[in-house]
Amino acid sequence: MSVVTNNDLRCTIALAALENVIDPEIGLNVVDLGLIYEIDFDEGGTGIVVTMTLSTPFCPMGESITGAVERVLQDTFTGAVVLVKLTFEPPWSYERISEAGKKFLSA
Amino acid sequence: MTSTGHINAQHTTHKVVLPFYVYASLAFLAATLLLFLSSSALTGHYFNPKILAVTHTMALGWGTMIIFGASHQLLPVLTESGLFSITLGYLSFALAAAGIPLLVYGFYYFDLGWPAQWGGSAMVLSILCYVINVAGTITKGKKDNVHAIYSLTAALWLLLTAAVGLTLVYNFTSPFLPEGALAYLPLHAHIGTTGWFLLLVIGVGSRLLPMFLISKYDNERLLWLIYFLINGGLLSFLLLFFFSLGASFYWIPVAAVSAALVMFAYYCYGCLRQRIRKQVDDQMKISLVSTGMMLVALVLLTLIILLLNASPGHRLVLLYGFGTFFGWITAIILGMTFKTLPFIVWNKIYREKAGSAKTPNPKDLMSNRLFKAMIIAWVTGSLICVAGISARSASLLRSGSALLVAAALLYNWNVMKVLTYKPAT
Repeated sequence: MSVVTNNDLRCTIALAALENVIDPEIGLNVVDLGLIYEIDFDEGGTGIVVTMTLSTPFCPMGESITGAVERVLQDTFTGAVVLVKLTFEPPWSYERISEAGKKFLSA
Repeated sequence: MTSTGHINAQHTTHKVVLPFYVYASLAFLAATLLLFLSSSALTGHYFNPKILAVTHTMALGWGTMIIFGASHQLLPVLTESGLFSITLGYLSFALAAAGIPLLVYGFYYFDLGWPAQWGGSAMVLSILCYVINVAGTITKGKKDNVHAIYSLTAALWLLLTAAVGLTLVYNFTSPFLPEGALAYLPLHAHIGTTGWFLLLVIGVGSRLLPMFLISKYDNERLLWLIYFLINGGLLSFLLLFFFSLGASFYWIPVAAVSAALVMFAYYCYGCLRQRIRKQVDDQMKISLVSTGMMLVALVLLTLIILLLNASPGHRLVLLYGFGTFFGWITAIILGMTFKTLPFIVWNKIYREKAGSAKTPNPKDLMSNRLFKAMIIAWVTGSLICVAGISARSASLLRSGSALLVAAALLYNWNVMKVLTYKPAT
């Protein structure tokens, strides 16, 4: 799991917040699941662009997961405009699950 | 602001999916009640109005309706494209919902005049809507998707099954076929169970199993091989049937489908072995058990083919039919209902709230105690019914079917619990 960013400090805060967004089927958060690809912050600090994927294209839970990502970041960075961009390039694979995530799933 | 590329296109509204689930759960209850009221019929020949009524309630009202519902939700996942038409989904439901009771009424009272004819015609039209929807969805999506091809082929076999069934219904009132209905029943039954149910279960199951278990296992070549074995087996069965090549050649389709089932069992084992998620929930366990039940049904079918020349083998035929509908198909539905329905309802309630408030786990919407009690009633009831069919015992069949009624009531209770879930304020 690795997330590309242009602001390491803000990205750490964002990822900590995103650990509260749980994939309802798997029970694991979107960060450890490796769904977050990139988080970009604009210079004024009011715009955040999250590039992320889903474990499968056309996932029935997709809307609730991307919506939750948007709401969590809006709560964390008050007043920020959050844009969630969904991509399937590269497609998600099991290799993207973090070590902590693998440990959680194998428990 | 969410840039939703795939998301808006993908979203199949719950309004088109949930009516199928509600209808199927009521049909399951109706089928078990009909079985209880007609339990003594299972001590005789399988070609009996009451048994035909129970079988069609199970095959169409229970199995097909819930598959139609789940398909409208899952087709976008399988094909990686949005559903072709929501309207066709509604139309398919309305036609089947009206047709099935008419057809079952026609069988139960053996009135194969207008009720069965209109009911059967409505069902064929419903299936036609479904086939167009599946084909349209696939055309919009990825072309080389093995799971989607399984779904479309299964839907086409279902259409053929229903067309043969409707032909038989019309043939009762105005005979035009060279032989009686009994001669064509194996054709209708085998293409229905193998072409529709088996092909669809393998096609969809092979996609969902690694998804739910988070398994790294992937073997598309094996899935294509299974696909060709099942369809090859069915086509060889049709050739043997229409060219009357004799029962001694029936080992060919049985061997092809047996090989396919063993390979699918191997596929399931591969998924289990390479899973990342170690815990397998009860719903998945029941669904996996159903794979074993397919193999039992196949052993029975082999025995039927080997023994039918020597004896009528009615009990084996009844056991095969009972095992297929109340065993294998019911096992998958009992497991998969509570694997999918809580998520559909959760998504309806919490889609707009996730992330801004604490939300329950989708599994919390159902009762695990009711689920376990339902499984106990279903397993016990089924085993007692199997003993009742084997021993031709009406009292055992009554006791067993009473337990199946209890299982259906518990299933309905749990389904209603999920559907009527109210979030804490």
